[in-house]
Amino acid sequence: MSAVLHAHPESGPALGVDAGKPRKVLSEAGQRGRWWRFTAILAITAIVLVPIVVTVLLAFTPGPNSTATGLTFENISNVFSKTLAATWLKNSLITTLATVIISVAVAAPAGYVLSRGRSKAVSGYSLLLFVMQSLPIITSVVPLFILFAGMGLVDNLMGLTIIYVGSTMTVATWMMAAYFDSIPISLEEASWIDGCSVFGSFTKVVLRNSLPGILSTAIFSFLLAWNDYLVAIVFLRSNEIFTLPMGVQSFFQQNATDWTSVMALAVIMMLPPVIVFATLNRYFSVGGIGGSLAGR
Amino acid sequence: MALTETQSGLSRARRGVAPGGPGTAPVKRRSKLSAQTSRTFFWLLLPSVVLLVLIHGYPLIHAAVQATHDGNLLQTGNFVGGENFSTVLTSPAFWKAAQFTLWFTIVGVFGSWLVGLGLALLLRTKIPAGGTFKVLLLLPWVVPIVVSSTAWNWLVATPDSLIPSLFRNLGLGTPLFLADPTLASITVMVFKVWVSFPFMMMMISAALASVDSTVYEAASMDGATRWQQFSQITLPLIARSTYISWILMTIFCVNDFPTIYLLTGGGPVSATTSLVVLAYRTVFQDFATGPGVAIAFLMTMTLVVISVILYRQIRKSSVE
Repeated sequence: MSAVLHAHPESGPALGVDAGKPRKVLSEAGQRGRWWRFTAILAITAIVLVPIVVTVLLAFTPGPNSTATGLTFENISNVFSKTLAATWLKNSLITTLATVIISVAVAAPAGYVLSRGRSKAVSGYSLLLFVMQSLPIITSVVPLFILFAGMGLVDNLMGLTIIYVGSTMTVATWMMAAYFDSIPISLEEASWIDGCSVFGSFTKVVLRNSLPGILSTAIFSFLLAWNDYLVAIVFLRSNEIFTLPMGVQSFFQQNATDWTSVMALAVIMMLPPVIVFATLNRYFSVGGIGGSLAGR
Repeated sequence: MALTETQSGLSRARRGVAPGGPGTAPVKRRSKLSAQTSRTFFWLLLPSVVLLVLIHGYPLIHAAVQATHDGNLLQTGNFVGGENFSTVLTSPAFWKAAQFTLWFTIVGVFGSWLVGLGLALLLRTKIPAGGTFKVLLLLPWVVPIVVSSTAWNWLVATPDSLIPSLFRNLGLGTPLFLADPTLASITVMVFKVWVSFPFMMMMISAALASVDSTVYEAASMDGATRWQQFSQITLPLIARSTYISWILMTIFCVNDFPTIYLLTGGGPVSATTSLVVLAYRTVFQDFATGPGVAIAFLMTMTLVVISVILYRQIRKSSVE
């Protein structure tokens, strides 16, 4: 490597010796740098992904009492046939879907007001939402537990959904508002001149052009509801009401040695967010939480 | 009351941005539309306000009541003023947890920032299959914590796990990653960095994407070294999103429950007990509701200050 650098001293921009000199061999050096960087990122990615690869491998490795050889679907089918995995999966899907739909339905209109309204009250509400999203959920969890216990919403998927919607709506509203900011108000003005109401122009003009914003809000709510553990551990009591995080955890504690089954359930749990990200990633990277806050 | 204020504020605001802009539309139509606008805005905002009051406002007030009473989960008990707070503030466990939370946050924020920054810079250059790597590197953030903590447990928990065995085979002894207090703290922090760096990477990549590459060409023409380019062009250009991501990540780290709880449960000998874990255990395992909520309240105060400062900063920088 150093010999190469000696042969082309001007080709080493990383050394800082190329000042003012023409860079004849830049493309060659650039090529070399490209493969060096490729190797580096390949190595880093490989190390970073070890825990995930291990999870997937173990999930398809025959268990301790199995006669199967090679990779097998046995663990996955066992988890479904011998445990409550199907129920947990169903509970997680119901809760998450309900959270996503209600969050968007609440956040989109509120975000519209935040985006179009210009007043102290609106910016005050915006600040309030922002402060609320940063508060530790543990503070609200105890009072909500008491309130929900009185209403029969403890150990209940509806109670869980209400809390998830409550915790997504703050950031979700900001995300929607940031997206609406990017839609020119002249579009609405045109529809008002045509006699459209404010609500009509919101639904027909603004919402119709907001699919990326809605999708990124939906992904955010989906991740929060699908991954939550703290609310679930406080509010869920019985096995058949568990969502997947509680299921994996209970399973993990009871069968500490049966890693293949734990990992089979873990793979089932990580599949939906990975699929969502693999297909909708481009919407999220633009309108992500950070991006939306940065955009305000 | 807050609602009527919002409504009148909105109608006032709306008049300024009436259709056609001020001065062009007929006065009559404008005022009619603005009344309609404020009514519509009120209904559009209502569900959000109701949820905010139910899920955030009411619990916060109730928590304030619980923090100043000696009750339990079932009864409010008697008013004891600041007693719970003084109990908490004089207990060594609280300060130990506060200290751990501080370190956890510092390592979590700057560790994930450094890794995220390095990878964002690397991915910004032309690399074969760069897009694929970008998606793969997001996985630690996308995979549920319950899943990744399980995988990490499998990798490090017992002396026979993969990584301790690897250390043994290399002749480095057999580290007990989750049984030794210092090693467990380090493991939890490394895990947090592993979970969080993709978020930082996304934030920084988004900021870098908007930087014009000709700036760098001009700088290298002028003889700027790589380091000068980085410290005098790149860093200032991503300063705003760096600043925002630091404070966001601080909030994420302080509030983090599952990352710690799932990996170590706060142990060994409460070495990895953060304030949230301590609050959870105080309320739901020791059933000391008052002190537990008091801990949560002290965190809340700190975070309100942090987020108001952050909010001001964002507002200020978006005006610029």
